[in-house]
Amino acid sequence: MKKVIYILAFLGLPLSYFAQVNVEFEKKNFPDRKDQLKEAINQFKEGNAIFDEGDKRFLLAALPHYLEAQTFNPNNDLLNFRIGYCYLNSHDQGRATEYITKAYQLNPAVDKKIRFYLGNVIQLKSEWTKAITEYEAYKATVSSKDAAELKIVNRRIEECRNGIELSKTPIRVFIDNVGQDINGTFGDYSPVITADESIMMFTSRRPGGVNPALSVEDNLPHEDIWVSTKVNKKWTTARNIGLPVNLELHNSAICLSPDGNKLITYDGSKQNGDLFISELHGALWTKPETLGKAINSDGHEPSASFSYDGKVLYFVSDRKEGLGGHDIYYSVINEKGKFEKAVNIGPTLNTEYDEDGVYMMPDGKTMYFSSKGHMGIGGYDIFKTTLENGVWTKPVNVGIPINTPDDDVFYVLAANGRHAYYSSSSMKGYGGQDIFKITILGPEKQPLLNTEDQLLAMAANPISNLKTEGAIESKGPKMALLKGVITDAKTNAVLEAAIELFDNEKNILLATFKSNSSTGRYLVTLPAGRNYGIAVKKDGYLFHSENFIIDQNADYIEYNKDVALKKIEVGSVIVLRNIFFDFDKATIRPESASELDRLIKLLNENPTIKIELGSHTDSKGSDDYNMKLSDNRSRSVVDYLITKGIGADRLTAKGYGETKPIDTNDTDEGRQNNRRTEFKIMSK
Amino acid sequence: MKKIITTLFMALSCYVFSQDTVKVASQLTPEQQAEADYNSGIEQLKRKDYLTAVDFFTKSVAVKPDFDKAFYNRAVALTQLKRYTEAYQDINKVIAKSPQNADAYFTKSLIFFNDNKKDSQLVALDKCLAVNANHSEANYYKGLVLYENGEYKTAIDNYNKAIAGNANYIYAYNDRASAKRALSDLAGSIADYEKAISMDDKDAFLYNNLGSAYRENKNYAKAIESYNKALQVNEKYLIALTNRGAAKLEDNNLKGAHDDFEEALRKDPSNSSAFNGLASVYIKQKEYQKAKDMANKAIQSNAKNGPAYFNRGIARQMLREDEGSCADWKKAAELGVAAAKSFVNSDCSE
Repeated sequence: MKKVIYILAFLGLPLSYFAQVNVEFEKKNFPDRKDQLKEAINQFKEGNAIFDEGDKRFLLAALPHYLEAQTFNPNNDLLNFRIGYCYLNSHDQGRATEYITKAYQLNPAVDKKIRFYLGNVIQLKSEWTKAITEYEAYKATVSSKDAAELKIVNRRIEECRNGIELSKTPIRVFIDNVGQDINGTFGDYSPVITADESIMMFTSRRPGGVNPALSVEDNLPHEDIWVSTKVNKKWTTARNIGLPVNLELHNSAICLSPDGNKLITYDGSKQNGDLFISELHGALWTKPETLGKAINSDGHEPSASFSYDGKVLYFVSDRKEGLGGHDIYYSVINEKGKFEKAVNIGPTLNTEYDEDGVYMMPDGKTMYFSSKGHMGIGGYDIFKTTLENGVWTKPVNVGIPINTPDDDVFYVLAANGRHAYYSSSSMKGYGGQDIFKITILGPEKQPLLNTEDQLLAMAANPISNLKTEGAIESKGPKMALLKGVITDAKTNAVLEAAIELFDNEKNILLATFKSNSSTGRYLVTLPAGRNYGIAVKKDGYLFHSENFIIDQNADYIEYNKDVALKKIEVGSVIVLRNIFFDFDKATIRPESASELDRLIKLLNENPTIKIELGSHTDSKGSDDYNMKLSDNRSRSVVDYLITKGIGADRLTAKGYGETKPIDTNDTDEGRQNNRRTEFKIMSK
Repeated sequence: MKKIITTLFMALSCYVFSQDTVKVASQLTPEQQAEADYNSGIEQLKRKDYLTAVDFFTKSVAVKPDFDKAFYNRAVALTQLKRYTEAYQDINKVIAKSPQNADAYFTKSLIFFNDNKKDSQLVALDKCLAVNANHSEANYYKGLVLYENGEYKTAIDNYNKAIAGNANYIYAYNDRASAKRALSDLAGSIADYEKAISMDDKDAFLYNNLGSAYRENKNYAKAIESYNKALQVNEKYLIALTNRGAAKLEDNNLKGAHDDFEEALRKDPSNSSAFNGLASVYIKQKEYQKAKDMANKAIQSNAKNGPAYFNRGIARQMLREDEGSCADWKKAAELGVAAAKSFVNSDCSE
């Protein structure tokens, strides 16, 4: 030992680093505590029995025994090493540091990979260069023929180098614990949110779940799904979502649809872990049903996310045909509502390492996922990719400090792109993993100075010439969020109605959503770059139409649009927002097709009603011109309907010109509202 | 704007005096009395007693209804009294009688300017220039109007003509430089400011403008040198001092910037720009509470200081006063700070 100390002192390490001496569990070391020694040895052995099975999933079960033994003898090299190793394989890796470090101090030869594990715990502290030193030291001991081991250590070194690189340009964020109304002393993790951040569901191991019994694996309450809603910008105290979503064993939240009406859950007891879906009907969630064979395999499916229109499911699986570990797959939902065969998303995103925590943004083209590969800095890191012309871009690490050397996974972003939520045990919380809110601040904001110059010589008073910064790139996704409440126009009762989303230019139905039957609430996401026709429909009511043209470069915006549906009765009037004419002409544009089809369907389903098609203009142009234009336009619509088989005796064309404005003619928006086609039920 | 009006009066006076005084004999005929009244009117104009001046010119034209110079000068006096309708009538009489009188059109354009009728001002200037395309002052003023309309390229055309008519037109060089700067032609701008300075090295504002052009070109050494010269010419010219502080800040000389803003505040304890400059320094130093305090003072001194709201918004965001920061950026956006609107969009959605 003396020699060892000399050598290490020569290496520049302080002697105090090695001041502690290894203490074996032997009688001679505890002459007065034989009984306690015996118990400690038993605990050590019990721990070893679990540890030596070599199944990392059960290492946590060894910990209580080891910790008990360590309380008795804190200075045993192997015991400290094994505790550290158990923690390194847990969700609480940070706690490995003291044990691995101590094990090394007690005996630098405690394990042939001790320098590697020392590198692990130093890497966890983001001390990249020091970690590389340890990895290099370990690497020097690895045989050049041991390609697998060299690959592992080289990957670690690469991660540290990535850490050095990414540390140069940390992203600016606030990371806040979401508070005690959500987080408790037990583990809280895997948050999922609606697009507008009004609802959060998460998985928790707190008491108070559906099954009061503790889990046999770790003597903790079972995983259950809990829910909180945001009221006046504050999260309400979380409540258990209850039966039938939470069942007897572990149930966790995986994905919440943007509108909060569909929830994908995970059940670890089925085929190594399967995915299920539950739907919200009114105030009640349906019993989760399996996503079926296309999605659930014999392997492990721990994560999934729907596309914004609900027509594609992206999910993670470790099924055999993957590129290594867990991979991301997708499955298209066919017209019958069934999942088509799953397709591996490909090597741009999937690596030989694990991928997990897939999350599809409601903008329809941005995906976040976690990976242990790519340009990672340790454990799972969160990456971003976008779908450009049908091809996924090379994933980009979202940066430090969102990504840490620990596992960073289950990252969900609000539709505004400004807030994200994830769980972590590496930050100060209330116990176990906690859920944190990330506020993404974007590039550092530069201050703005007053620049005063007398730019014009005649103006002796300075003209303020603001020196403005270059335009900053809006960080929010290019999309809009449309939400509101659907009610009966007369009774104000909330309604469950269908919301159909059309691409007017392509005349295709993009997606159908439903408002909630007990709240009438709906939420639709509108990715940028389309002319959207929106039809709110319910049997017995006239449909309500809206039109949104979301420019490709539009900033994120939220529209609140409450819709009052009118019954099909004489006198009811609706505005047809998706009938378009050529400029200053009465020619109906092709984008009007879906709206006209709806109108024809309505007339066919109600064969006795007679309607007036009224056309209105804004106040630009002369009265006579506007009257003539509106007459011609209403006539065009009527003529079109006649060509589609609607009886001419049921249709009246009427031009109102600018005589009946419904908004001001002083603004572009007002004028746009005034230019409209309406129909009115004249008799039934 | 007040000063603009004053300088316009100077311009008007220039044309008043061009309508020379007339010699009057000792024994006065009615016509001679009219001329004497005319001369008295001019004296009153010089004393800025416009009401009395109008009275004299009125007496003069009552006796001599074709006395154009009296109508012309009465128009000037009426303009100063903001009696624009009467001023138009008088100048129109002059124009009706002498449709080729370019100066009359020019004076009419200045009346329109005072009456805040920019479009009509341009029409009058165009008529002046139709009569005399080389009317240097009319070209200069047309350039000024176009500049204020943001039509910098066309403004430069007119400044070119003004300079062609008067190679020593210092103001035209200055304004052309500013127009070039607005079009990001910084090299051209710097050349014009330097030309103006070569003809007049006693005007601090010319050095200041040159400094700001260099600063925009990120030539901070030259910018600071120019601001220094402005301060040598006029040590009370605090604009150059705060601009120098800004140049130092942009050059990451935070201490130098801090010192300049402090010095500006010693000379003018209510200098809003200097307070805002200090706020900017503190933001760079990540001392957000201090930055907020300084921005507060900047706003107290000038409630319309958009950049101060903008900076206070940055400080408050970092102090976790989210609602306050968004309110500040909204206010800054209202005050014309484009970048603030961008922050409202990106950072203020819930």
